[in-house]
Amino acid sequence: MKAFLDNLELALSTLRGNPLRSLLTLLGIVIGAATVVGMMALVEGFRISVNKDLEWFGAGGFQVQKIPMTFGHVDRAKYAKRPDLTREQGEALRALPHVRYVSIEAYHQGRPERIATRERATQPNVSVGGGLPDYAPANAVNIADGRFFTDTDIAMGGRVAVIGADVADVLFPGGHAVGKEIRIRSAPFTVVGVAERRGSTLGGSRDAWVTIPLDTYYQVLGRVTDHHIAIQATAAEDFQKAQDEVIARLRAIRGLRGIQENDFELFSNETMTGTFNQFAAVVAAATFAVTLLALVVGGIGVMNIMLVSVAERTREIGVRMALGARRRRILSQFVIEAVTLSLLGGILGVLIGAGGAIMAREIWDIPSSVPAWAVLLSLLSASGAGVVFGIYPAIRASRLDPVEAMRTE
Amino acid sequence: MTEAPLISVENLTRLYTVGEEEVRALDGVSFDVQRGEWVAVVGQSGSGKSTLMNLIGALDTPTSGSYRINGHDVEKLSDDELADLRNNEIGFVFQTFQLLSRSTALANVELPLVYRGVSRKERRELAVKALESVGLANRMHHRPNELSGGQRQRVAIARALVGSPSLLLADEPTGNLDSATGEEIIRLFGELNRHGHTILLVTHEPRLAARCPRAIRLSDGKVVADGPGAEVASLGAPPAPPPHAGAAA
Repeated sequence: MKAFLDNLELALSTLRGNPLRSLLTLLGIVIGAATVVGMMALVEGFRISVNKDLEWFGAGGFQVQKIPMTFGHVDRAKYAKRPDLTREQGEALRALPHVRYVSIEAYHQGRPERIATRERATQPNVSVGGGLPDYAPANAVNIADGRFFTDTDIAMGGRVAVIGADVADVLFPGGHAVGKEIRIRSAPFTVVGVAERRGSTLGGSRDAWVTIPLDTYYQVLGRVTDHHIAIQATAAEDFQKAQDEVIARLRAIRGLRGIQENDFELFSNETMTGTFNQFAAVVAAATFAVTLLALVVGGIGVMNIMLVSVAERTREIGVRMALGARRRRILSQFVIEAVTLSLLGGILGVLIGAGGAIMAREIWDIPSSVPAWAVLLSLLSASGAGVVFGIYPAIRASRLDPVEAMRTE
Repeated sequence: MTEAPLISVENLTRLYTVGEEEVRALDGVSFDVQRGEWVAVVGQSGSGKSTLMNLIGALDTPTSGSYRINGHDVEKLSDDELADLRNNEIGFVFQTFQLLSRSTALANVELPLVYRGVSRKERRELAVKALESVGLANRMHHRPNELSGGQRQRVAIARALVGSPSLLLADEPTGNLDSATGEEIIRLFGELNRHGHTILLVTHEPRLAARCPRAIRLSDGKVVADGPGAEVASLGAPPAPPPHAGAAA
């Protein structure tokens, strides 16, 4: 330990002796560590902010679909062969003991609409869905102005709509959307409610939508046979029971038995978060692997400077040996020097990376959070680079002949 | 007088291979040095005195023959044991001082103790004492480039003394100093010898060898004379220049 401290002191004095050269050499390591920490902070910040926003359903809520919802590529053709989730299958779930709301919804996936008034029109980017009064509670939709449509609205012809905050902003910039008329594919609807703003997730707004009664949807936008079914359990703690009941009932209705796999998918906030976190972990791993390369390149700089340092200090090494330094001692001196050098670079890089991430958050409002593991991993990698790239120059130093070494100038 | 000699060199031979040729740098050298002696090894360049100094300093190992210092058979030691022997038994004083330029006088003097594993506090105390003993108490925190040549050599002597080695091994210690400063250093050696230090001084200057109680003359790798310094020095010395030579030149 004493020997280690002596070596450490020595290493630091070497750095002090050549601050500019040391800094330049370390630039690679500094940049590497700063990139790792900065990128990881962005990925992590993104992940946390998405997780916070990923309240797709209320407490105890979940959704059933034929096609899985993932981040990234889905092989739709593979799932298209599954039998549709029909309205009747959805209705059959209402009787389950731990199910409170069943929202049967129709969408034409990937076919957004343009919504218009006499004066204005939105971009063709509004997701239009058909639903029933259970839609609001099952999807945790809160109404800011007006109300969600009711069975009475549906009985009276169903030409009513609830609109998302973005749609209200565009069509009714002065407010007062409730009671006004909008047109979907030139069919007129009366706005009965404007939803509270939900913000955006993954860069996409979650407020560009219109929901109209299910039967009206079939008439105006075309018949749909496959539905999304959003379910709300009787209470948050009945969540698991409700899921089990839904799975059992759907399997029975859809004629699945024994070991046959489910031909439908369940999503909850938890599964969505889990799926996203998996996706984020892959992104993080890939980013990390790439940025780690910068650290390796930085390590080469360390090797270079250590070779120069050994050459410059040949005489000193000879003197140390003459005065009784064992070869191992010389070896460890130079390895510790390389590690100290790299570690200092790592620390500097971590500070820069973390500083950048915090600046991004405070000044430009970019979500970022410096994960402790990224800091640790950067410092470990930097020290590792120090050992790997410092060992060869150190071996060269330790093999010098003291008499020859003392003769050099 | 049955006490074993501090240094016992017997039939020491060191061969170098230069290209195809074998060079006999040291050829069957034998002598003993008792504790408390001050011995000069004198000879012209190429006489083998540097080779002898490297062997006695445990910086090199002989091709054949034996060398004992303070009970250690040096030719049998491993690399690490040689390092430890240098650390414990030998205090080096070099012609070119060989101080670490970026370290203070104090840190330079502490260095042998660092490799001996002496605690920080203790080695600081010992180094201060050693610097005081060579008259540099007020220069401890200076770096070598802030010191005169004589002061540098004093630092080197303090470094050689700090670990209380059994032998002070000085290689042309006055070679890089003006004659007045060289004289000071030689006087310092004399003082150290009076205090009981055993000193082996390697030099090509007969004048210096003449100052030592004993001198060993090497020529072509062999001992050609071993006796009182003044006698040995005058043996192979070039004839003294005639008194008027300086004026004629």
